[in-house]
Amino acid sequence: MKKLFVISLLLLATAAVADELAVGAKAPAFSLVNAVDGKTYAFKPADGKISVVFFTCNQCPYAKAFEPRLIEIAKQYQAKGVAFYAIDPNDENRFAEETLANMKDRAVSKGYPYPYLKDADSSIARAYGARVTPHVYVIDQGGVLRYRGYVDDSARPEERTKTGLTDALDALLTNRQVATTATHAFGCTIKWKG
Amino acid sequence: MRAFALFAAFCLSLTPTQAANLVEVKEPARIADAFSPRSSLRLMNVWATWCVPCVEEMNDLRAIDATFGPEVSIVGVSLDDMIPGDRAATRRKVVAFLDQKKINYSNVYYSGNNDALADALRFSGEIPITIVYDRDGHELWRQQGKLDRRKTIAEIRKLLRRTR
Repeated sequence: MKKLFVISLLLLATAAVADELAVGAKAPAFSLVNAVDGKTYAFKPADGKISVVFFTCNQCPYAKAFEPRLIEIAKQYQAKGVAFYAIDPNDENRFAEETLANMKDRAVSKGYPYPYLKDADSSIARAYGARVTPHVYVIDQGGVLRYRGYVDDSARPEERTKTGLTDALDALLTNRQVATTATHAFGCTIKWKG
Repeated sequence: MRAFALFAAFCLSLTPTQAANLVEVKEPARIADAFSPRSSLRLMNVWATWCVPCVEEMNDLRAIDATFGPEVSIVGVSLDDMIPGDRAATRRKVVAFLDQKKINYSNVYYSGNNDALADALRFSGEIPITIVYDRDGHELWRQQGKLDRRKTIAEIRKLLRRTR
């Protein structure tokens, strides 16, 4: 009976993450509008670049807490050829902070060094299996997902012990295996549209 | 019946909340210390003041607390410490929030490592999450995301029948 109970718990744990894009899977392509310049940006996996796709938003305090860190990482790794895409999947009809105009204001005032894209029907977040903001995905040059989860294990710099995002990028840039391929993405639940 | 309900609501409004006793916990294993040892079931709810669905379900948790009384010990685990800033000020903010919401079930202020908590509770990091344990700490039920008051009460009734 006890064994059955343990097996049930394991199945429950597996089910809880079953909808997340598996590490090793092909990353979904997307074509989304950038709130800053109104232009459409397309991400085509296997474009020969390492790419960071991350889901974020205007309203989540935890996403905002990681904003300076993501800007710093993007500037550092863009210089090494890594592409960054910030995507806001939240429903702007229910949460006015998430309109294109407010997204643009935030991106401009904070000096985002990456496009801030609107996932207008939350379909890209669903395709990636994102659950929260911030939720980070690292895709290799061949379009394969190599890491998903958090930026770091703490938003408090002094308490940071694990740097999931930069560890994955450093591994890919030096042709090493990514040691930790999935971490716990804490944050605000995505405000799904539809 | 209506008079009784009004009297009960009045008494509840006079009862000091548990918020002032908000204990800081750094180790996930210490969260269990906040449960009442006499209860048949233990309900843990992981939340934060900045989490919209977490705040929305607090009235449901109050109702669950009122429905089952000491048979079900509820402990809220605040993750407000995740946001950088002055720790003492954040803790005071959580206390004020719990007071304002008139929350009478126990709460702890978690200031430990996120990974350690996610590993201990076997969850992805998405909140709210509600987990029900028996008095020996075995998990019986969990709800990822906002809970449904009626379904949760029905589930707890079922679990109580099983554990009695």
